Amino acid sequence: MSSTYDVSGVLPGDELDELPPGTTVLISGPSLVGKRQIAIEMLAAGNGDGDGMLLVTTKTSAASILRDFERIQPEFDRNRVGLIDSSGTDDRDGIREVATEYVGSPGDLTGISIGTAKLTKRFADRGVANVRHGLVSISTLLQYLDVETVFKFLHIYTNRVESSGGFAVFTLDDDSHDQQTVNTLTGEFDGVVQLRETEEGAVEYRVRGFGRSPSRWTPLE
Amino acid sequence: MTETDAPLVLIVEDEPDVAETYQIWLQGSYDVRTAETGDAALAAVDDDVDVVLLDRMMPGMSGADVLSAIRSRGIDTRVAMVSAVDPDFDVVEMGFDEYVTKPPTRDGLLETIETLLDRAEQSEALQEYYSLVARRSALETEKTEAKLEDSEEYARLNERIDAQREEADETLGDMESDLEFVSAVRELSELTEDAAGEEGADQLGDEE
Repeated sequence: MSSTYDVSGVLPGDELDELPPGTTVLISGPSLVGKRQIAIEMLAAGNGDGDGMLLVTTKTSAASILRDFERIQPEFDRNRVGLIDSSGTDDRDGIREVATEYVGSPGDLTGISIGTAKLTKRFADRGVANVRHGLVSISTLLQYLDVETVFKFLHIYTNRVESSGGFAVFTLDDDSHDQQTVNTLTGEFDGVVQLRETEEGAVEYRVRGFGRSPSRWTPLE
Repeated sequence: MTETDAPLVLIVEDEPDVAETYQIWLQGSYDVRTAETGDAALAAVDDDVDVVLLDRMMPGMSGADVLSAIRSRGIDTRVAMVSAVDPDFDVVEMGFDEYVTKPPTRDGLLETIETLLDRAEQSEALQEYYSLVARRSALETEKTEAKLEDSEEYARLNERIDAQREEADETLGDMESDLEFVSAVRELSELTEDAAGEEGADQLGDEE
């Protein structure tokens, strides 16, 4: 049985703390605003609790993500992480002792699903009940596949997270796609953390969905 | 044997007694084709076949070879591996949609066939769900929140979306299962590849 997923401390406010099993979150906002960082922090927050972490990368190498994890949590337990790298980069520094599956292209959804299934099985075999899933980013998938296919894939993936009592976080550049595409995809998640940049260059966030009324725009730092 | 409108199952099995047992179980609910070898299976399989029950260990061409030939030809069908050996993760990687441990029970075999027939409905159910959600997004893009709240069309659309989501999820099956999850995703990719590969398939047809 899985228990709740604690993500408190990732956002400065207390909008999100203990999330029930099966929760899926979208982090959306313009490019280069720190979406991936928030996603990684939400995943890494479970490492100390013994949660497994399963991250699909599409642009960034698994090795670079691993360095991010270790920067956030120096005590990081490498046995509880699984990475699916579809970025096509050959940066493999320090990745040897971490469970990693390589997929030829972000457009290879079957390959990505086989990689994640392999690594979830590894967690299950070792009795890890809580798994935090991540995928950064949906925008790269949209460069390879049409919105219909990506939508259906996300529907299947979030369905899997729900039925297995997991937790998942995804990222989307909302300035790279038209508004209708963003709306269509956003509806597949339990809630969204929206980011925006003010004219002064500060980053603000608000939380929508999760069965609550939307929060106000608040500075991220 | 004449074929009716019932779903069509291809039994690939080198032991005639075993094949006959399956056939008896399937009678009445499904149309059946049988093949005793891998080569015969490839001659008998086409887009009309809804489900293939494929014996893993056969003299000559193995079940895995038959499966990869079916996949590379882009045939729109779902394949269950029937094997006496307890399956490992390789079943998922090889591209099977389901597996049945041999000897199967009657109920076990019928249940597997039903799961795969649901999978066959998945594309259409998900497509309809996507179209409805896309229509809602278009409305949301055009209209203000206040206008949407008053809109009967919007309310009706939301109801239809909820109902269609349930229907689509039923066709997906048990997404906690690694095998079913990968099978559901493969179904999407095949759809994408089909669109790209249609011309090639036509040419193959002309040569025959």
